Amino acid sequence: MSVIEVENITKTFSMGKGKILVLDNVSFSVGKDDFVCLVGPSGCGKSTLLRIIAGLEKVDSGRVLFHGEPVTRPTPKISMVFQLFGLLPWKTALENVEIPLEILGVDKEKRTHISKEYLKMVGLEGFENTYPHDLSGGMKQRVGIARALALKPEVLLMDEPFSSLDELTAKTLRELVLNIWRNPALPTNIFIMVSHNVEEAVFMADRIIVMSPRPGKIIGEVKIDIPRPRIEHLRDAEYFKFVDEVVDLLKRGKSLTKDESPLSLIASRVSKS
Amino acid sequence: MRRYIISLVGGLAILYLMTLIIMASTSYPEIRHLPLYTFSTIFRIVITLLISILWGTSFGILAATNRLASFILTPLIDLLQSIPILGYFPMVIGFLFALGPVGIELSVIVLLFTSMAWSIFFGVLGAISGIPTNIIESARSFGLTGWRYIRHVILPAITPALISGANLAWCDGWFFMIAAEYIQYQGEVVAPPSGGLGYLLARTAYYYEDIKLAVTLLIFITFIVVYFNTLTWHRLMERASTGTFKPIFRMDLSGVGKVLTSRTNRWLRLRLHQPKRFSIIFQRLRKYTRIEKIIAVIFTISGIIFILSSESHHFPDLGIILEGFRAPPVEELTNLPMLIALTMMRLSIAYGISLVIAIGLGILAAEHKKLAAVIYPIYDIGQGVPILALFPVLFLGLNSLLGTPRIALELTCILMLIFDMIWYMFINIVSVIKNIPVEIKEVSQLFGFRGLSRVRHIVIPSILPAIATGSMLSWGTGWNTIIFAEYMPSSEPSIPPLSIPGIGSLLDKAGYEYGNTVILIFILGIIAAIVLLMEGLVWRRLLRKLEKYHVEV
Repeated sequence: MSVIEVENITKTFSMGKGKILVLDNVSFSVGKDDFVCLVGPSGCGKSTLLRIIAGLEKVDSGRVLFHGEPVTRPTPKISMVFQLFGLLPWKTALENVEIPLEILGVDKEKRTHISKEYLKMVGLEGFENTYPHDLSGGMKQRVGIARALALKPEVLLMDEPFSSLDELTAKTLRELVLNIWRNPALPTNIFIMVSHNVEEAVFMADRIIVMSPRPGKIIGEVKIDIPRPRIEHLRDAEYFKFVDEVVDLLKRGKSLTKDESPLSLIASRVSKS
Repeated sequence: MRRYIISLVGGLAILYLMTLIIMASTSYPEIRHLPLYTFSTIFRIVITLLISILWGTSFGILAATNRLASFILTPLIDLLQSIPILGYFPMVIGFLFALGPVGIELSVIVLLFTSMAWSIFFGVLGAISGIPTNIIESARSFGLTGWRYIRHVILPAITPALISGANLAWCDGWFFMIAAEYIQYQGEVVAPPSGGLGYLLARTAYYYEDIKLAVTLLIFITFIVVYFNTLTWHRLMERASTGTFKPIFRMDLSGVGKVLTSRTNRWLRLRLHQPKRFSIIFQRLRKYTRIEKIIAVIFTISGIIFILSSESHHFPDLGIILEGFRAPPVEELTNLPMLIALTMMRLSIAYGISLVIAIGLGILAAEHKKLAAVIYPIYDIGQGVPILALFPVLFLGLNSLLGTPRIALELTCILMLIFDMIWYMFINIVSVIKNIPVEIKEVSQLFGFRGLSRVRHIVIPSILPAIATGSMLSWGTGWNTIIFAEYMPSSEPSIPPLSIPGIGSLLDKAGYEYGNTVILIFILGIIAAIVLLMEGLVWRRLLRKLEKYHVEV
């Protein structure tokens, strides 16, 4: 049963006088307990797609359904983790987690309790009163994750959450995210992650949706059925087979648009739409 | 290109028409020379600009590439740039007035130079320090040294800074033009032989007290400034901003708004500990070593002694200084604490008002796109008005309205300060609001910050550092302005000049009326001490506290 339905989404950005087509008729659906990765070359519109699902961006045509209801603006049921963390620098770690709850009208005592609990869960006990300025990149992203989860969302969107961290930190945080996803006590069970790191996607996701260069289209989907925990299978031939499969799809996407120059392509798309 | 020619010819035609109308509608003898006066002011500023560019480029390159030169030049020039134009009067009068009419013409250019040259020097210096290490290293690995290094690496790298610095200098020139062209020496006005718009405006306001003509002239001057800005600087800056390493300052504000930003930036680069982007430049410029400071102090003291000795035509000793402290306006020095308090009070009132208005407008501009579309253009044109030139016009208007010159001057003073301070506050706030990172905006959208909670949790905290910087800058510029705003010169020796009590007007009296260099320098020192003290004790501390508010991207 699908919880999120992305239906025929088309999106253009206006640039100067012209328009640039970034997403071209994109559709897919995500069900309960799914971990989906959107993979594609930079500029293919995958982050835009994520923002459309979050209700942060408007579409030109098509729609996103969440439990059958169209998403037109942000809802606490769908939360997000940002690439550059998106923490408010003037608030402490605790306040950063608390403030979305405050806006939802949760009373002071309760929201402090919830926030502390989630900070503890991401391993930041003792850093409640530290400002983002004094936290490392990995710790900042932990705050970002705690903030997103504290709202008890059903869906967690992640926009390249590990790409601004060093590899060792990223590794630890990937495990953290997977543990959260697996934790049955948490209401958050649908994860949609944007990545341009194929190995990371194969390591984490159940399904990888591969997108073409701009204008972004879905080229194909790869179902990953490596048993979990996958950390034990990182050297298996099967793992590399999946990586190769995704890389092949990416290459095919590239060759699709190679024949035409990008500009003429954009022009033809725009005149069509 | 065609649009360019149309705007060029159209602007000239409007200028010509305005000149004709002004000349036809008034009968003062000076007005007959309006074309000449216009020409000589423009010519003067252009000449000074060229000198400033030559000087700034060569000295900037020298100070940036030669260790010894940077030891001496950078702190010294930083010191010189903080001296208000009035501080240069004694030197100019001492040396150049002896040369007769040519000397007076030269004095105006020298005075303009002292308010125009610095931005170019510091722009060049900053641009050279900002050349990325990889570029320097690759140039070196290809064997570029000496002149070829300057030609192929340094000159291209400093071009944008040179253009924006020159633009800044140009605007500074128009700003101080009225102060430079209306020199008073021992109570008498020394008119530059070829006249000038600043002189004409001051004469109209102070001598003829003709408000209509003064306003017309002010509009005339503003038009010239805006005309040249759109015609040359906008285009040059657009062209220069492509193909360089990185934008000097990313801002969507057009035109003169940019000028204030870069002026702000220059200031910041020198006075503040700023994170990341400028940190390398900062470390070089901000932390002068003790030796550098000592050298600068020695230079200044010897400079002062030199000026003093040239005035009295014999080598100075303690006697001259004592003599200076015996001459008028020494009797007013006993009231010094009171005068300082009065001046501080005016500054505080103006600061409070500008703060409230600037924050209000800034938030409105951030929250309402439609309102922003109205505010920004007004702001842009307002920027074109040379604020010092506004002074006589404002005073005349208020005086005819109120009838009491003293109260009119008091009000004019505070209004001038507000006009001057508010730009710095506003430009800083707006540039921050426009640059709030996308992620922060998305976070505020995602978690449902709306209305008051958005203003409280997102907008206000993100503009706090800008408010602190803006405050520091506006106090700095406020001190510079109040020197002119507490004192109303008169055109006839028989009428005593009007002034309101304050340390600014005391400085003017020492300079204009009595020509007492010793007291002039003494008061300048006190003002500098107050400014530095406030910077160190209030603004820098505040800024350091707010450092963590900067969004790291």
